[in-house]
Amino acid sequence: MSTLIKKEFTLTAAPLTYVFLAFAGMTMIPGYPVLVCGFFICLGIFYTFQFAREYNDVLFTALLPVRKRDVVRVRYLFVVCIQLLGVCVCGMLTILRMTALRDAQVYRTNPLMNANPAFLAYLLVIMLLFNLIFLGGFYRTAYYYGKPFVLFCVAAFAVVGLGETLHHIPGLTWLNDCEGAGVGRQLALLVAAVLIYAAGTLLSMKRSEERFEKLDL
Amino acid sequence: MEEILCIRNLCKRYPSFALRNVSFAVEKGRIMGFVGRNGAGKTTTLKSIMNLVHPDSGEICFFGMELGDREQEIKQRIGYAAGGISYYHRRRIGDIIRVTKTFYSNWDDGVCGRYLEKFALHPEKRLTELSEGMKVKFNLTLALSHHAEFLILDEPTSGLDPVSREELLEIFLDLASQGVSILFSTHITSDLEKCADAVTYIRKGEIVASRPREDFTERYRLAAVRGELTAEQRKLAQGIRRGRDGQTALILREQEDRARQAGMDGITPADLETVIIHLEGGTL
Repeated sequence: MSTLIKKEFTLTAAPLTYVFLAFAGMTMIPGYPVLVCGFFICLGIFYTFQFAREYNDVLFTALLPVRKRDVVRVRYLFVVCIQLLGVCVCGMLTILRMTALRDAQVYRTNPLMNANPAFLAYLLVIMLLFNLIFLGGFYRTAYYYGKPFVLFCVAAFAVVGLGETLHHIPGLTWLNDCEGAGVGRQLALLVAAVLIYAAGTLLSMKRSEERFEKLDL
Repeated sequence: MEEILCIRNLCKRYPSFALRNVSFAVEKGRIMGFVGRNGAGKTTTLKSIMNLVHPDSGEICFFGMELGDREQEIKQRIGYAAGGISYYHRRRIGDIIRVTKTFYSNWDDGVCGRYLEKFALHPEKRLTELSEGMKVKFNLTLALSHHAEFLILDEPTSGLDPVSREELLEIFLDLASQGVSILFSTHITSDLEKCADAVTYIRKGEIVASRPREDFTERYRLAAVRGELTAEQRKLAQGIRRGRDGQTALILREQEDRARQAGMDGITPADLETVIIHLEGGTL
């Protein structure tokens, strides 16, 4: 498996996947729907799928002396690594916004979603949708990625819209808190999102492995 | 002789095409040519052998082991290369090799270096800078560098210039003399004349014949007639082709005397290409 991981990161990965991690920096943009950075990180991962198809990567890997299910597993591992790296950077910038920069005027008067634990939870939901909709759809054929990506885009922007809407609803304003009791509830939400992300990704991976085993390449 | 590959009753059905009861075997140290026209089922068969395509039924054994049970172990011992497919074409040759070698316990840097030199492949070059023929050579280098005991090559000579093709066929002969078995599909029957010990011929998803090369051509004779074949002559023909001055008919060797009695005079031995072209052409 370690050889496959090395191959995935050095040979298969599109450089743009790493470059697009920089979109995590959007967390710092004031007055901007910061959740969009989750979509951009996933867009970066999508480029690897484009590269991989152009490179005949699936065929090359399936011909190596490896288990077929590991071909799928390693791609999921790659995707999860990039996503969590993105979430970690967003997390660090969120901490920066909530501590050292908490009194900055541009963030205090922010009408849109603040960078807080709820934001990170939404990010994980977007990542999970990528794993369920895009990865799950892609491994039906291990070739076609257009439709699954369009479906993911629709779902991701629905989550962005939802995230930007919910905290305006009375009773849910705590979702946009950057201090006080609301943050505690957001942390609970974040823990729940982590668990759902892990379970959903695992489920998607298992289903993709089963599908891939039956595919004719 | 030890069987390296044994396929029995391989079947695979697609909506518009089917492989039907494909069976043949490759022996140790032998080169088998796998021939048939486009769409005959060569690639589907080779992909089934590599477990890229899932057959509906049938058995595939390598080195006496079932493919399904010991796929990883088997793939350590075999090499696969296909003409017309290149992998990671924007990556440098050296980078692809550095990653690929980590998957094979028998990888030999010395052998790899020798083939790179022989094929004039520079590790710093990107595959996109190579011609189609050079890409085939690179695929072969990867397949040959882990001391594979059996090579499965899907049209490896396609896109190669005559000198490179000759060079490659000589490599096949060298490898066979070292005990390596080779199964290669091709359209170029002259390649088979040069190096194949055996020929497997597939037509419309079915194996027509799988036998030693000499036997394959020895079964037939070619008869040339001026003008049209008579009804009696047509009955003897396994395949008929039209020529500038008349028609040629492929007949079975044992019917040579009957053919002469039927007025077919210009009867000559048939080469592989002639046999296949006539068999594919049918009786018009």
